Amino acid sequence: MTAAPPTAEAPAAVLVYGVVAPADTVASDGPAHPDGALPEGSLGPDGEPLRLVTHDDLAAVVGGVSPQWRPGRADLLAFSAVIDTLARRGPVVPVQFGSLMADEQEVVDQVLVADEDRLRDLLASLAGKTQVQVRARYVEEAVLSEVVAVDPEVRALWARTRELPEGAGHGDRVRLGERAARAVAERAAQDAETILGVVGRYAVDAISRPVAGMDVLDVAVLLEADQVAALEDALEALAQASYRRLRIRLVGPTAPYDFVGER
Amino acid sequence: MTVQTTHQSRRGGYLERPSPSSLADVIEVILDKGMVIDAYVRVSLVGIELLTIDARIVIASVDTYLRFAEATNRLDLYEHGGKDIGDVVDDLREGGAESKTRGAVRGVKNTVKEALSSGDESDGGDEEQQDRPRRPAKRTPSRRRSE
Repeated sequence: MTAAPPTAEAPAAVLVYGVVAPADTVASDGPAHPDGALPEGSLGPDGEPLRLVTHDDLAAVVGGVSPQWRPGRADLLAFSAVIDTLARRGPVVPVQFGSLMADEQEVVDQVLVADEDRLRDLLASLAGKTQVQVRARYVEEAVLSEVVAVDPEVRALWARTRELPEGAGHGDRVRLGERAARAVAERAAQDAETILGVVGRYAVDAISRPVAGMDVLDVAVLLEADQVAALEDALEALAQASYRRLRIRLVGPTAPYDFVGER
Repeated sequence: MTVQTTHQSRRGGYLERPSPSSLADVIEVILDKGMVIDAYVRVSLVGIELLTIDARIVIASVDTYLRFAEATNRLDLYEHGGKDIGDVVDDLREGGAESKTRGAVRGVKNTVKEALSSGDESDGGDEEQQDRPRRPAKRTPSRRRSE
């Protein structure tokens, strides 16, 4: 596939933000006034207003991109803000950040037409739902205290190495660290299960990402928008009960970034 | 009974609720996510992608272990609520037992169950429950504040 060569007027490419069902997005007059569907004042990377590219009941939100575009933090935040605004108005299928297509016709042909069934299914299934991210992380001192207390091997190594001068007992220190890291990971797996048990009562779907170190859990949760407050309450209780040893954070609601791919 | 207060102020504040617009969280939530389309090119975010990946992959290396060891060696278990290690170990071994552990170490499962099923952990009893009707057993997630 070759991109159309950039001309003086046309942008080099379009950045695809996401796909919506125009009825959910357009204020009142339908796709005939597509500009009304877009977050007010939102500009693409080229500084021009965002546009809607439509095909039947589907519409992609796109923005122009100049050939020199090198996305930075501000672009990511702006992208996120556009998607969140769309998500507040109705279901949206966010497209992976940075996806460029040659022009609007290509967006129609290769996204809206090519994926039309999948997009319709996704938009229908996402109606009324939202995503949050739940993360939990140990309070390092607290969890290591637990580990030293219950694991005889860790405790022995701990007792042996803690009085040694710096630099001495390298082998024991490595063993201590290795054993402690493993013990923390085992503990994290159990605690993650407990938290997921709570999350699961409110979730439609959940996808956990692998964690390491002091992290206990990192899970994307799809849930009905009207369940967010209930989940928040449950997690607040959980966070309070376990505050001494772990911290729980809830990010969102956001658009359902984790629930639009093939799995 | 008091009218339920607003979304934010009724929280106890133990659950961290960062603004979703902070850069770190936005990166975590959206980078490399979303629908993959047949784009002719995917431009990467300058400098950020790599950082995120680095932060996520914690390789089980000697350095990692030494860092763990160092953190462990900084501990002074005897400072935790005056419990000695024996008590802590007993508490932990009991796991699901109901023994009232007031010490530093409690299994999260126990505390979670308490927090979610009783609504309050104190001896406040009825009054407490009236004041805080929002945290009863969460068996019916659909019954939620919706006013």
